[in-house]
Amino acid sequence: MESKVNILMVDDQPGKLLTYEVILGELGENLVKASSGREALDILLKMDIAVVLMDVSMPELDGFQLADMIRQHPRFQKIAIIFISAVHLTDLDRLTGYQRGAMDYISVPVVPELLRAKVSVFAELHRKARELELLNRDLEQRVLERTAELRESEKQLRQRADLLDLASEAIMVRDFEGVLQFWNSGAEAFYGWDRAEVLGRNVHQILRTKLPNSAEEIESAIRREGRWEGNLVQYTKHGREVVVASRQVLQTDAGGARHTILEISRDITAQLQAEDALRKAEKLAAMGRVAGIIAHEINNPLDAIRNAFYLLHNHPSLDDDARQYTRIAEEELTRVAHITRQTLSFYRESKEAVPVSIAEILNDILALQLRLLERNGIVLEKEYSSDGPVLGFPGELKQVFLNLIGNAIQAMPDGGRLRIRVSDATEKGHQREGIRVLIADTGSGIRPEDAKQLFEPFFTTKSTKGTGLGLWISKGIVQKYEGIIQFRSMRLLRGNITAFSVFIPKSASPQMSEARVLSSASLR
Amino acid sequence: MNEKELILCVDDEENQLAVRKLVLEQAGYSVLTAGSGQQALDLLAGHPIDLVLSDHLMPGLTGTELARQIKAQDPDLPVILISAVNEIPADAAYADLFMSKLDGPQAMCQNIAAMLARSKNGSSS
Repeated sequence: MESKVNILMVDDQPGKLLTYEVILGELGENLVKASSGREALDILLKMDIAVVLMDVSMPELDGFQLADMIRQHPRFQKIAIIFISAVHLTDLDRLTGYQRGAMDYISVPVVPELLRAKVSVFAELHRKARELELLNRDLEQRVLERTAELRESEKQLRQRADLLDLASEAIMVRDFEGVLQFWNSGAEAFYGWDRAEVLGRNVHQILRTKLPNSAEEIESAIRREGRWEGNLVQYTKHGREVVVASRQVLQTDAGGARHTILEISRDITAQLQAEDALRKAEKLAAMGRVAGIIAHEINNPLDAIRNAFYLLHNHPSLDDDARQYTRIAEEELTRVAHITRQTLSFYRESKEAVPVSIAEILNDILALQLRLLERNGIVLEKEYSSDGPVLGFPGELKQVFLNLIGNAIQAMPDGGRLRIRVSDATEKGHQREGIRVLIADTGSGIRPEDAKQLFEPFFTTKSTKGTGLGLWISKGIVQKYEGIIQFRSMRLLRGNITAFSVFIPKSASPQMSEARVLSSASLR
Repeated sequence: MNEKELILCVDDEENQLAVRKLVLEQAGYSVLTAGSGQQALDLLAGHPIDLVLSDHLMPGLTGTELARQIKAQDPDLPVILISAVNEIPADAAYADLFMSKLDGPQAMCQNIAAMLARSKNGSSS
């Protein structure tokens, strides 16, 4: 609905004002009357006037003077003014002097239709201008509101980004091609890559991500269900392998056109390692229990058999041959007893650590293996430049070197060279004085993929022959002496060389673990 | 010649018990056998036992528990526990000696002889 506009009529003669009122009444606009120039100015200041209709000749302030004053006021510069006057040339000249604003005139006698037509045009013009202004103002208001909204959402985004940076998780946003758009401080700290280094690049190439399923499967799951969760193996900038629990969520912008993927990665490397260690510890505890049960179940009948052979051995009915057989059986049974003691318990023969000659221990072991060395055609090279007395338990140290020498011999079924060297040595890092024993063979060598697991319990390359405990037990013993056990295996065209080196510091003071002792020594 | 020393041999396994009895007899001792700790306590009441040689892991009374009860009645009676387990139990000290079956018959006889000699010296002085 169109609103009315105000039309101001100015004349000092009430009769004329009445006449104009009658003529313009038909227009249906709001008519305001003023009987002098001053009154007209008062009204102009108070009301929004569309058209001023005025007589030129008025006492005090005539029409031209009033028009001058109106025009000087900036608010009224565009107001339409219609003069009613007898037309003189001079008057027309003055009219053209008004540069700005609408200006018109009506000559007397006033033709009602003409006056109505002219006023109507200006009234309409004003109305349109006013509507335009309203529209304009509305538009400006909307622009202001929208600007405020944008400012608010930008603030929220910045707050959200700050929050994302506070999170310890690595948070990133990428598109379906993997191109990175956002990378929080958590990601910088965790992966070691700065924002500037990775933004715009393919994130999963940088992190060398190993996916649990195919990339296509994951992508289709994200598109279908809007999210995907799983564990990823990745690498940090410094090459450390990490496992992360990854949550990937599809993000669609307001238009629904642009899709991005929000990825949140939580480091679970340590957690997995702890779980793994726990599993291993449980496995070991279980092994300990099983070993205890087996020890008991084997040792009991073994004891009865040994006693029986002991009786048989002295039995008067036996001839010399039969007595010889029982002697062999008894010897072998003693060996079985020795083996179950070695493998199923952690046997130690004395309570206090004693000075142990490493060379003597090695010679004892080699004496037992001499037949095997000969049979396999293995050449033994001994090089002892130190007798190497260290403080320890002979049984334990024997076990370490028996394992290493036994492995070396088994690695050379078709002959080779076994080199054993004992020397005084100083540890590089800590400058500790000690003994180094080197046991080198020219056997089958150690495959690189086995190297990492070599000292793990239950790891064996001898299929059914090995328990997988030898090196693990050896490492445990060496560590108890605060020593170092390490190996190098070189696979060369003309043969392999595998060398185990054991360093035992002279300062070592190993303690015996009470709970594992099985000893026939009196407890009193 | 002195009268033979009397050893009470305790084990829940029949074969073990029988063969150990023979080994001890061959070594010159008289031997009484008991298939459980309770039976051993009953026999102790009516016989002049010089030494008790008992298995440790038995149903009912264990060797260490048997040793504790024997020592409560007669602290001077030597008790040797002979076991197949690979760990010495916490209360092993109730016995005079806790030895492994893996040590074999000769070691067992030596331990018994040494224990009896010590016991005799102890009571005579």
